[in-house]
Order: sequence, then structure tokens, then C-alpha cells
Amino acid sequence: MSPTMRSAMNSPANSGFSDTPRFMKILRILLSLVLAMSLNATVAAETDSADVQPYRPVTAYYTLDAGSSSIVDTYLTPLRYSGWSVGFGYDRWQAFKRSPEDWLMNLRLNVNVDRDENLTGNATMWNLGLAFSWGMYRRWTLHSLGGITVGAGPRARIDVGCLYTSRNGNNPASAKASATVDASAYVARKFTLWGKTMGLRYTTSLPLAGAFFSPDYGELYYEIWMGNHSGLSHVAWWGNYFRWNNDLMADIRFGGTVLTFGYRCDLLSTKVSHINTRIVRHAFVFGIGGEWISMYPGRRLSADTKIISAF
Amino acid sequence: MSLASCHHIDSWDNDPVGNFEALWTIVDEHYCFFKEKDVDWQEVYSRYRPRIHDEMSARELFTICSEMLAELRDGHTNLTSGFNTSYYTKWWSDYPQNYDERLVEQYYLNFSENHIGSVTYAMLQDNVGYIRYPSFNSGLGHGNIDAMLSSLITASGLIIDIRDNGGGGLDNVETLVMHFLRNRTLAGYLCHKTGPGHDDFSDPFAYYYDPVSEPHITWMKPVVVLTNRSTFSAANNFVSIMKMLPGIYIVGDRTGGGSGMPYSSEIPCGWGVRFSACSILDSEGRTTEFGIDPTEGCHVDLDPQLALQGRDTMLDFAVALLMRTV
Repeated sequence: MSPTMRSAMNSPANSGFSDTPRFMKILRILLSLVLAMSLNATVAAETDSADVQPYRPVTAYYTLDAGSSSIVDTYLTPLRYSGWSVGFGYDRWQAFKRSPEDWLMNLRLNVNVDRDENLTGNATMWNLGLAFSWGMYRRWTLHSLGGITVGAGPRARIDVGCLYTSRNGNNPASAKASATVDASAYVARKFTLWGKTMGLRYTTSLPLAGAFFSPDYGELYYEIWMGNHSGLSHVAWWGNYFRWNNDLMADIRFGGTVLTFGYRCDLLSTKVSHINTRIVRHAFVFGIGGEWISMYPGRRLSADTKIISAF
Repeated sequence: MSLASCHHIDSWDNDPVGNFEALWTIVDEHYCFFKEKDVDWQEVYSRYRPRIHDEMSARELFTICSEMLAELRDGHTNLTSGFNTSYYTKWWSDYPQNYDERLVEQYYLNFSENHIGSVTYAMLQDNVGYIRYPSFNSGLGHGNIDAMLSSLITASGLIIDIRDNGGGGLDNVETLVMHFLRNRTLAGYLCHKTGPGHDDFSDPFAYYYDPVSEPHITWMKPVVVLTNRSTFSAANNFVSIMKMLPGIYIVGDRTGGGSGMPYSSEIPCGWGVRFSACSILDSEGRTTEFGIDPTEGCHVDLDPQLALQGRDTMLDFAVALLMRTV
């Protein structure tokens, strides 16, 4: 692969750092280092037809979230546990190559850790979850509503995780794994306030179908370990697998860097083999992001270069 | 967010009635031996529920709940609070103990046995090897077992004493059994609940143990497994497998049973509850919940009078049996 230059951009005419505060320079440098690896693939895809294709900046966010969680998993206990939750997220948006005006693609990675206690506080449950998803959105800009952008489309998602409570002997853990196709949607609005470009964005997704893992009602993991793998995978539909993920985020732009914050609410409710699981997380989200273009060294953006951003 | 879209989950109040109801329901929906033990759990409810009232103390509630769990006659059933843990003991307390650790150590091992963790081993008089495995909570690796067996390799037979072994990890059972197998062997069947109904069970799932591979040691000489009523749970499972192997004799008293793998849960006040939820059957598909008899003609008790003279009649029987066998 040819060497590349990656520059933070908000518009073709705005590529400098000189008029930004020093801390923003540091933020940009840090973000550049973190994002560098994820952009390599993008560069390869864009270079072949750089002269004819519009540029499609990548909008990426790195977020931390903290909040509360509530867990019931009747395989472990019929009682509701509640406590705190923390997480890390990576959220990457880009216009789709084949039809960049109309389609967006989005990649998401979330890791969360929850620590909850029962009502009397004498037992602890840990929840570790990892979610990876990739989706496409057909988008429309509603000029009659002040330029609000709405989008909807399918999303493929994989979740793995585990609930663990130390008080149980032979059933201390409840493993979670699922692969679903979700219906996903977003609403976004850009505006200017106090001289800053800002944005509001709400995204939501619901699974439509898929498959997920669950042991049988009273089946211990020892039996699975000994080789009984029958009946562990289940077809997911709303009757037995309901998940709803919601993000309401606000962006404040500082040049090519974005400060983002907002609220996240995730709900998972499953019922299979007479085992109920319900996990609800509410979290405040804070992070940084940026809009990035990958270019060959020496290439310059001309005034008529078309740039199609995600938002 | 609309919780109406969630699936319903039962909940109970954290008061005496709520905790009693939760305990009764959890056991009702998960316990696996109602039929084998002919326990009418609904009838149990009707007897105990009137004794529950909101003015009772936590200790009073604990006592009644413990009595209710004792109706299951199951050594795997416990109720655990911050001030007490209930145990059902009649599976062993109604029978002679048939084991005296000091008797063996003083008069047979002369306090000179070898130790690997809590496991001890030595060569007895008459050239018989002796391994004492007091709990399957203590894990042994194949290397540990090789060390024991190689040091006893000249013995004409081997005694594995699991009297008072109350169980532990089934993986430790497998590790030990592997050294006595010649081929892949059907160890038994696992059967779990598939729903809250008392008859909701899965088809038995056959599970197998494999012999150790070289260079680990496989013991091919006669073996006696010494048992008593306190041989329970994983130790009971060990006996059920060993009894099916050629050249292995079960000597002593009937085992204590405990073939249900325990499952844990809790009630709103935070007390833990543990009970049998997954039945392990022997290789012929029979339950061993009520214990396993010794090999025919090998039932023997500890004679308390001879014990006072330094004789363990069960161990003597085992040694004599091995001497006759070789």
C-alpha cells in the first residue's frame, strides 16, 4: 500500500490547526494516532478512482459511558440485581461508495462491564458484554423540516457476553451470544450555535430475526462441557428475543474534531426454555470524534471536489 | 422505555410470606427428585404455608423453611442465611459411621503415609497399596496420580478409601477414574429439567470417560473401593462408575447417594438456596440418589469392639479380598 496522508477536515478550505487552541491540537494528535489504523482500509478503497469519485469522509467517535444497570437472569437467580455500568464504544460512519448521496454505512463496537448487587447487597453479579454491528442506512434529507436527515436500514449484529455470580456453585455463569439482523434508524440535525457547528443525532435499532444461545431450563454447563450441545441455539424473534438500543447524542465541532456526549439506553429481554433474562442499561456517554479523509500524499482538494459526509 | 415489551418475570416481596413463596416456587420449578422420593410438594406447601406470618422473626422463618426443605430428604439441599445454614443429615446420621481416621492412620499407616494435598497413600502390610481420598474438592493431576500409582506399583492390589468423602468436583472424579479404564467407557447419563413441571426432563445424555494416554499409568490390578454412608455426591458418582469396571470391588456400607447435581438460587431476603436439579444416572440408566450397594458379598461394617483393639474390619476385609483375588 502506498503511503498515505490523513488530515482532519471539516471543509476543503479548512485544513489548518493554527487558529485552534493548543488543547485541541493535542486532542487532534491523539485522535489521529488512534484512528490511523482504522482508516487504512478506507484508503485502499478510495484511491483507485480518486479523480472521479467524491470524497467520503469518515466520521468516527470514541466514547466512554457510565451509568446504571439492572439485571435479571432466572438461570442464575429470579431476583433483580442493580448497580453500575461502564462501557467503551467505537462508532464509525461513512457514506456508502456506490451511492454516497443516498446510503450510509455504520460500524459499531461496544464493550460494557456491569457490576450489580441483589436487593440485600449480599451477592454480586458481573456482566461483561461485547457487541459488534455493521449497518447501512438509506437516508433522506427533509428540507421542509429544516434539513433534518433521517435514515433507516438493516444492521447485522453480533453480541457475546457473560453474566457471573460468585454465590452459585454449579450454575455460576450465564453465557450470552447472539447474531441478529436488526432494523435500524437515525435522525440527525446540524445547526450552528454560538459560532460552533453542532449536531443532534438519535439512533435506534431493534432486532428482526437471528439466532441466539441459551442452555436448557435446568441444564448445567457441565453437561454442555461433557458434549451435550443439542438445543443450545434458538431462532430469535420478538417473541423470545427483544433488544432495543437507543442513543441520543449531541456533537460540538472544533474544526475537524468533535466533542460528543449524550444518553444511551439499552434493553435486552429474552425468554427461551423458560429462562428469562432482562438487562437494562442507562448511561451518560462522553467521547471525542472527528471527520477524516484519507488521501495520497501530494494530492490536494480542488474547489470543486465533492465531499459527501455522513452527517 | 417501554417495559411492556419485556417478558414477564415473577417477583416476590421481601417479607416472610414473599420469601416463603419464593423458596417454595424455586424448588417446585427446579427440583429433580419429587417423583423418586414420592414428595407431594403441593401438600408440603399446604402444611407449611399457614405457619408463615408477617410478624415472625428471620430465625423463625429460617427454621420453618429449613424444615420444609428437609421434606425433600436430600443431602444436597441447603438454605444459607447470614446466621445459619440448614443441612439435611439423615442420609448419614441414621447409620453407623464406619470410619475412624485415627484408627487407620495409627494402626495401618503408622503415621508414615505420603501426602499429596489432602490425599494420602502408603503401602500396607501384605503388600497392598492404600490411597485415602477424603474429598473430591481436592484436585489431583495425572502426574500426582502417576506418582502414587508408581510408588505402589509392586502392590498386589489397591484400596481406594473414600469413606467420609462427601463429594466435590466431577472433574476430579474423571481424572482419577481415567487411570482405571482400558477403553472409552460409558460413565453414565445426565438428565436435566426442561421446564418448571415436575415431569419436564430431558432425554438422558450419555457421557463417557476416556482412559489416560501414555505415558500416564493405568492400574490393571485388582482394586477395592471402600465406602460408607458418608460417601456422597461426587464420591457416590465415583463408586457408580468404578463398580461397573472389571476387577473392581466396592466394599463397606451402602453409599449415601446424592446423585443430583446441585443448583443454586436465592430468595428476596438474600438467603441462598441449593438443591438437586440435574440427575446423574449410572451406566445402566438407574438413579443412584439413594446410594449404591457394595459388590455382592462385600457388605461389611466397622466392628466397634475390634476397633478398640486397633482393627478396622472394613479395611481388613478389603485386604483379605485382594489377597484372595490375586
